[in-house]
Amino acid sequence: MAAPGVDVRSLTKRFRRVTAVRDLSFTVQPGRVTGFLGPNGAGKTTTLRILLDLVSATSGSATIGGVRYRDLPQPARQVGAVLEATSFHPSRRARAHLTMMALAAGIEQSRVDQVLAVVGLTEDAHRKVGGYSLGMRQRLQLAGALLGDPGVLVLDEPSNGLDPQGIAWLRELLRYLAREGRTILVSSHLLAEMAQTIDDVVIVSQGTLRVQGPLSLLTAQTHSSMRVRTPEAQRLAGIVAQAGFTPRPEAPGVVLVDGASPEQLGPLLAAHQVVVYEVTQRTQDLESLFLQLTTTLGAPAAAQGPPPAAARPPGAPGIPAAARPPGPGGPGAPGPPGPPGATAGMGSPAPSPPPEVRP
Amino acid sequence: MTRLLRAELYKIRTTPGPWVCLAVTLLLTALGIVLSFLVADRGTVHFGAPTTTHDLRNLVGAGFTAGTVMAPVLGVLVITTEYRHKVLTTTLLVNPRRSQVLTAKVLASIVWGLLLCLGSLALVAAMGVPLLVSQGGSVSHLLDQVGPVVPGLLGAYALLCVYGLGIGVLVRNQIAGVILSLGISLVLEPIVVALFSALVHWDVNWLPSRATQAIAGGLTGGRAGAGVIGTALLSWWLGALALIAWGLGLALVGYFTTFRRDVS
Repeated sequence: MAAPGVDVRSLTKRFRRVTAVRDLSFTVQPGRVTGFLGPNGAGKTTTLRILLDLVSATSGSATIGGVRYRDLPQPARQVGAVLEATSFHPSRRARAHLTMMALAAGIEQSRVDQVLAVVGLTEDAHRKVGGYSLGMRQRLQLAGALLGDPGVLVLDEPSNGLDPQGIAWLRELLRYLAREGRTILVSSHLLAEMAQTIDDVVIVSQGTLRVQGPLSLLTAQTHSSMRVRTPEAQRLAGIVAQAGFTPRPEAPGVVLVDGASPEQLGPLLAAHQVVVYEVTQRTQDLESLFLQLTTTLGAPAAAQGPPPAAARPPGAPGIPAAARPPGPGGPGAPGPPGPPGATAGMGSPAPSPPPEVRP
Repeated sequence: MTRLLRAELYKIRTTPGPWVCLAVTLLLTALGIVLSFLVADRGTVHFGAPTTTHDLRNLVGAGFTAGTVMAPVLGVLVITTEYRHKVLTTTLLVNPRRSQVLTAKVLASIVWGLLLCLGSLALVAAMGVPLLVSQGGSVSHLLDQVGPVVPGLLGAYALLCVYGLGIGVLVRNQIAGVILSLGISLVLEPIVVALFSALVHWDVNWLPSRATQAIAGGLTGGRAGAGVIGTALLSWWLGALALIAWGLGLALVGYFTTFRRDVS
């Protein structure tokens, strides 16, 4: 399936005094699952609603294959969307909800039964949606999104309300759909939950792009540090600095040594006969890196321009921004799924500019 | 557009609101007919067949007055149900061209207005004829009264439904829309008509209820329709124009103000 990509370019949305999305640009590649991540209130839902023409942009554009949603010849056959689990009439039966969509989109009725089977709701299709659990409503939303067999799927927090089995099922489904070459943009406020599903990340905070690139790039940025409690904190800091590590005082008598493993630090301490009371390893996981990216950099001052190096969280250096316009192929130009890092400026874990934040 | 219209009609019939509206209309229609029989003898409680043309017009009019009040409510429900349950999100995802969506809703409202009228007609026939026959009244007389105004009634119901849709598009809140629709029909319009009639001796004939009476040949509207207040109604085609202006005007205003707003 040659699906179009998604291209968000310089998108801004202001609601009176609140700027929900600020000069946001990113692209979504076909054949990959792209996680659209950020804390609550980061502007994810607003961005997706602008993409789907439910909300108007103050400036900028959001297109699918270079075309606005409203200009797509057959939107329901080209884009499937899951937005919220409350967009149902509670007295309408699940099958009727899908039939209503199929009628409006000119989709054959046999697809209704097919998608009900895909999401596992065949047995409950005759029930009124008002009696559905949140998880069942999410499945029904997903059935609606799949109804037109679209090449692009836009899913806003689709795992909300799903039980662990449901989340695992959704993960497999999204992976399967991506392998078919579809473009999948899925938002979440939990990176850890999405880590096993997504290929690429677009991380936003306060309506601004923080990071775009392959997930592997983020994973490479997770690091461990050693926490050392010692009466010789100052001496220890000098020793580890000489050895090429970065010491950070955490508290009086406590030093954090970034980038060092136990195997590296142990011999060093022994060689210099440093007295230690306690040594523990701290591994920064993906979620804490995500939190740092979306909180430290999310300070209002940071939004005015590139943050100074000192303001970056320890894990942030080396994460490139990808708020770059698409290449000469045109916005969202269809093409085969690219491997991780195929997008210019995304693949190298080498030191690179800080996340690009346009003024 | 055919696809959208089919979807809208399907959507309406798979929710309870319009059916409740239809049931209430038929119930009130039945009550209207019975009450008309009870007071057929010029206000005295007396069960008997209408003996004059005036009585017959009251009988038939009583049957349809409820419908002309409820038709706008049905129109309100057609659109506000979507806002209330956020189904509009799904609707616009399937077809993001809002003018087409609203046009389909206008057409669906017309269809449901016609259905509402046909239901009322069937009930008037089913109840009125046996009652008349049992009291020795003339069925042909009834047919003579109703026959000529059937096209007008059908048109009035359909346009009133569109008028209700226009209110719904503007108000968006379902409860507020229903209250506003009923309030205009039952309270505001009679007050406005009475005030203008009493103070400046001017018949305000272009309001929805009065326009409806004009289309329906003065059948509807209860005592006002019988000519107590404002004897001069618009001609049927001017009444139709007034109702079209109310319905499409409100829908257009709604489209350019609220319907194009962000859906969140």
